[in-house]
Amino acid sequence: MENTSQVPVTVLTGFLGAGKTTLLNRILTEQHGRKYAVIVNEFGEQGIDNDLVVDADEEVFEMNNGCICCTVRGDLIRILSGLMKRADKLDAIIVETTGLADPAPVAQTFFVDQDVADRTKLDAIVTVADAVHLSSQLVDHHEAEEQIAFADVILLNKVELVGDNDIVKVNDRIRKINPFAKIIKTTRCDAPLDEIVGLNAFSLDRVLDIEPDFLESDHDHEHDDDVTSLSFVSDTPLDMDKFQDWFGNLLRTKGQDILRSKGILNFKGEEERYVFQGVHMLMDASPMGPWPKGKDRSSRVVFIGRDLDNMNLKEGFDNCKSA
Amino acid sequence: MNADLETLQESNKTELERRGSIFNIGAPATEAVTIRDQIAVGFGDGTVRFFQSGSDPKTVKAHKGVVLSMTNYEDHVLTGGEDGRFLKISSDGNIDEIFNFGSKWVDCVASHKDTKVCSSGKNVYIWTKNKDKPLTLEHQSTVAGLAFDNKGKRLAVSRYGGVTLWKLNNNKWTSSNFTWKGSHGTVTFSPDTKYIVTAMQENQIHGWRLNDKADLAMRGYPSKIKSFTWVGDTPYLVTSGSSDAVCWPFDGKEGPMGRKPIVVANGGKELATFVKALNGEKAVFTGFTDGSVLLAEIDESKKPIMIRSSTGSEVSTIAISSDNSQILIGDMKGSILLSSLWADN
Repeated sequence: MENTSQVPVTVLTGFLGAGKTTLLNRILTEQHGRKYAVIVNEFGEQGIDNDLVVDADEEVFEMNNGCICCTVRGDLIRILSGLMKRADKLDAIIVETTGLADPAPVAQTFFVDQDVADRTKLDAIVTVADAVHLSSQLVDHHEAEEQIAFADVILLNKVELVGDNDIVKVNDRIRKINPFAKIIKTTRCDAPLDEIVGLNAFSLDRVLDIEPDFLESDHDHEHDDDVTSLSFVSDTPLDMDKFQDWFGNLLRTKGQDILRSKGILNFKGEEERYVFQGVHMLMDASPMGPWPKGKDRSSRVVFIGRDLDNMNLKEGFDNCKSA
Repeated sequence: MNADLETLQESNKTELERRGSIFNIGAPATEAVTIRDQIAVGFGDGTVRFFQSGSDPKTVKAHKGVVLSMTNYEDHVLTGGEDGRFLKISSDGNIDEIFNFGSKWVDCVASHKDTKVCSSGKNVYIWTKNKDKPLTLEHQSTVAGLAFDNKGKRLAVSRYGGVTLWKLNNNKWTSSNFTWKGSHGTVTFSPDTKYIVTAMQENQIHGWRLNDKADLAMRGYPSKIKSFTWVGDTPYLVTSGSSDAVCWPFDGKEGPMGRKPIVVANGGKELATFVKALNGEKAVFTGFTDGSVLLAEIDESKKPIMIRSSTGSEVSTIAISSDNSQILIGDMKGSILLSSLWADN
């Protein structure tokens, strides 16, 4: 349900010490003329005292909907529905997650809970990464990989402490995990707030912004449990039934390993573009207007996840091409 | 032309709207409770307003942020707020702060005689008479509902994974667990205290028979159940969450097990959001997503009566004065209808 009265929610992830609190303090204290509520967790790095700060215990709950990887943030459902009863309208809500949190339950909450979906919308997942320590964190903690993999925007923070060569290296490392996130290099999280809040990154029409440059398949990784991305392009129109069968089955059986998926699809016999975006087993899809005149009608899909090489993704996608 | 239009709108009004008063508060009505001849309503702007027939409401600036929970307590109301405060408020505007939890919300409140209870986070706090310090009951996850039985000897606490039932024996609280996978919200005891029932985060309600912990799963709703009420002598548990008021019979040994609910008060394409029993009658008020309210007997052959027409904003609370003479209906836009239920009042 698209609705102009839905309040956008930005999910803020990042390892301890990366600079989340610096960013939250900016959001709460800068004269931006907007009203932002911030939901913080009890393990936050330091206390922030403000009327618009809500204390939450991250409570990850399993849903009873038969979807095995479907976990949601129960505390968020409660707090968002409380905030929606405020007399004054909020311009946005920012949810801070703990340093070691898996971003999936937060994102899934917006797909699964009807009240949350009716009144709020997931705007973007923003990950603050420490340019000095990210490379080693990616080796030691799979949570760090997931936070990069889920991100729509990555603030590569503390770049002033790192040499140019190392910035290029860490940038490339991020790109291997996540080809479509926007990377902003910052010192003390000094990016303009309008590049962080109010992006509409989860809106389906933003799927159309996938840049073809990033869509290079890359198999060059070291461990099977590394998070990687794969993408495919087809100029041959796809068969809708075949695609639905393949993709539905893929998410059902491999959804636990597919962290995010996005795509623009050209179906045979359909005038409109179809777009989708998913988090694990859950996804949102719809037609998104006619193809622009004079541009190629090519289908593009991107997967970010673990063990993608063993899902026969290329074969499966190719089989969807119409004869 | 304009005059005609006004006449038409006037004639579209229900009988109760014509004889009642309408107040536009501008903030969502979150909770309403009855204290003697007044009805106290909590709002999303932090105010508690006391409504009484024939006069303007008295406004008490209680909380900063939303009034999240409210119950009656002797001649007062107890409220819990987004500002972390647990308050006792009298209708003349006296505010007594019982406790301040800071940046943690006070999600639920309950009372029995001179016992005051609230929850914040995973803990339930109980203040008994003449004691300044509360007793703390801890739970494994955030408390989402509180309910006393009619004697005040048992306290049901809903949370993720089920309900913790606390019993008071010789001034000590002991607990037992009622387990069902999923997240449980509002909780209620049946009037005979043989059952407890919760509204779940999924589109279903769940009940337990207390003597043998038998489970009752009541499913098939198109949306979340945000409200339920016990009606009549049978009694029926009437719930929101569907295009009708869904009425589960709790008579006999088995209650609703293996039986179909009665459905009354059809709202067409609108979903029921709030239900409230008419005391002493086998009838229920049902509020819908469009703001309309129907009064229906628990009898599928009887036609419901339109009590309030559509306002475009979902009904968030309904309260009836203790003498059954007045009804108050509030919605998410903060429009309040206060009207006498009977024509001769």
